[in-house]
Amino acid sequence: MNVASIIQFKNVTKRFGNNPPVLDNVSFTLERGKFYTLLGPSGCGKTTILRLIAGFTEPSEGEIWFNGQKINHLPANKRQVNTVFQDYALFPHLNVFENVAFGLRIKKVKKTEIEAKVKQALSFVNLDGYEYREIREMSGGQRQRVAIARAIVNKPEMILLDEPLSALDLKLRTEMQYELRELQRRLGITFVFVTHDQEEALAMSDEIFVINNGKIQQSGTPTDIYDEPINRFVADFIGESNIVEGKMVEDYLVEFVGKKFECDDKGFNANEPVEIVIRPEDLEITTPELGRLQVRVDSQLFRGVHYEICCYDKDDNEWLVHSTKKAKVGKEIGLSFDREAIHVMRLGETEEEFDRRLETYADKGDSAQWKVN
Amino acid sequence: MFDFKGFSMQWYRELFHDTRMLIIVLNTIIVALLSALFSTIFGMLGALAIYNAKKRQTKNMLLSLNNVLIVSPDVIIGASFLILFTIAGVKLGFYSVLLSHIAFSIPIVVLMVLPKLMEMSPSLIDAARDLGANSWDVLTKVIIPFISPGIFAGFFMALTYSLDDFSVTFFVTGNGFSTLSVEIYSLARRGISLNINALSALLFLVTLLLVVIYHFITLRNNKASGLGVQKR
Repeated sequence: MNVASIIQFKNVTKRFGNNPPVLDNVSFTLERGKFYTLLGPSGCGKTTILRLIAGFTEPSEGEIWFNGQKINHLPANKRQVNTVFQDYALFPHLNVFENVAFGLRIKKVKKTEIEAKVKQALSFVNLDGYEYREIREMSGGQRQRVAIARAIVNKPEMILLDEPLSALDLKLRTEMQYELRELQRRLGITFVFVTHDQEEALAMSDEIFVINNGKIQQSGTPTDIYDEPINRFVADFIGESNIVEGKMVEDYLVEFVGKKFECDDKGFNANEPVEIVIRPEDLEITTPELGRLQVRVDSQLFRGVHYEICCYDKDDNEWLVHSTKKAKVGKEIGLSFDREAIHVMRLGETEEEFDRRLETYADKGDSAQWKVN
Repeated sequence: MFDFKGFSMQWYRELFHDTRMLIIVLNTIIVALLSALFSTIFGMLGALAIYNAKKRQTKNMLLSLNNVLIVSPDVIIGASFLILFTIAGVKLGFYSVLLSHIAFSIPIVVLMVLPKLMEMSPSLIDAARDLGANSWDVLTKVIIPFISPGIFAGFFMALTYSLDDFSVTFFVTGNGFSTLSVEIYSLARRGISLNINALSALLFLVTLLLVVIYHFITLRNNKASGLGVQKR
């Protein structure tokens, strides 16, 4: 166990009763001082991981290590971890000051010290002067800040955030994303953030864990996960994507929709069936003659930043295009893309195999780096 | 009885000279306060036990048992207590009345407290534990403050139920001990004194006062707990 790691899950399984496990043999290590995000659809087990770290529930099998100490059965009130809850869980009978001071009062900290610490925590979340407000007088965003102040005032080693932004409106949510990220940098505390919002995860995290059906599908930096999704689920869940079936003819040559394209992937068997991902923003609209694919525009939505254009090719594959240029519905157009835009996914590949295959590209230098836009 | 000829304080004066009647009033109030106090404590603990029951079945069973006492007629409860006390050899009097009042008030308190517990977001308890609170801290610093409106309501309900109970008391009261409702009943059967009318008027005023106080307490509590936590 190295010094940097703060929490480690070793083959953790959690099941309730005789139901299929909520978490299925999960292992991972979190390092100190980073911003982690657990991302997945509802019911995937991400909140269960959080509750296991916080100590609200115990694993059915496996071990959880915290700072080099096994904490499987350590109760929540003895752990150096604080949580920001989805519904904030502020105590309605206490005012803002007392809510933040709750943890310190339990620890019997001296009065003057409590006052100073609470004031400092509140100013950290930009709530100076709100000490004696009642919780019911605060707006959703302010309650959120109180909840964060209540967690950081205890100086925990780790802060867990359970979809804390989901109840806020879009504008406030974006603002809080910046603030949380900034707060994490200033405090240097490990943050574990649970969300089902992929944009939130991409924007804030040092590292993302994509979880589905109680298993970690892929972990990595936001760019890794966006550019090189390991399977259909990840590609589909993170961002929009066009996924078609194809086969790998030979190294650096892939065939899909009846055509052969050069690509940057290798290490497949000859004619191995694969899945191809092309991000909608990597597709560019041209004339049918110049395009590498010929499609017919089916519908178009104005999304503000770009047009979302839905097209079909002659084999009825759907192609989603994000473009700042307008297209005419019903017209034939051509789509062009770079060879880097093609991402090939092996069917049923595990994360270790995937990482090993990626490493073999390293000798090819930077060409394995995918273009984002 | 009497024809109404005008207002008079005569019967009030007579009432205050009737020490036997005053002692009975005092008994009634003592029984009411004590039974309300004890039933609030036990009822609250009972509600917490039902709330914390792990299995749904246990929860429903406990709640049904609780409701049995509410739906069964007072006469049946009174008769059952009489049989129980006779078998157990408890002397009928103050303690038998107090015990039976506590017993029939507990389910009422449970029913007043339980909805408050259900209303409480379970993450409040998680949050308290997360911040380092042990079980005792969680109970005294989070749960009880949150459900206090229910506890107050339960206490006052138990108080009024005990004050105006006739049938159960009638069964279990013994020689030399009587409460107001039982006494009024026996006086009314004799039908001579206007003491009762004077007493009723006073009781009405006191009850009205209690209702007003209760109203202001709930008003304050509702404001204080105006749901600081958003529901999921």
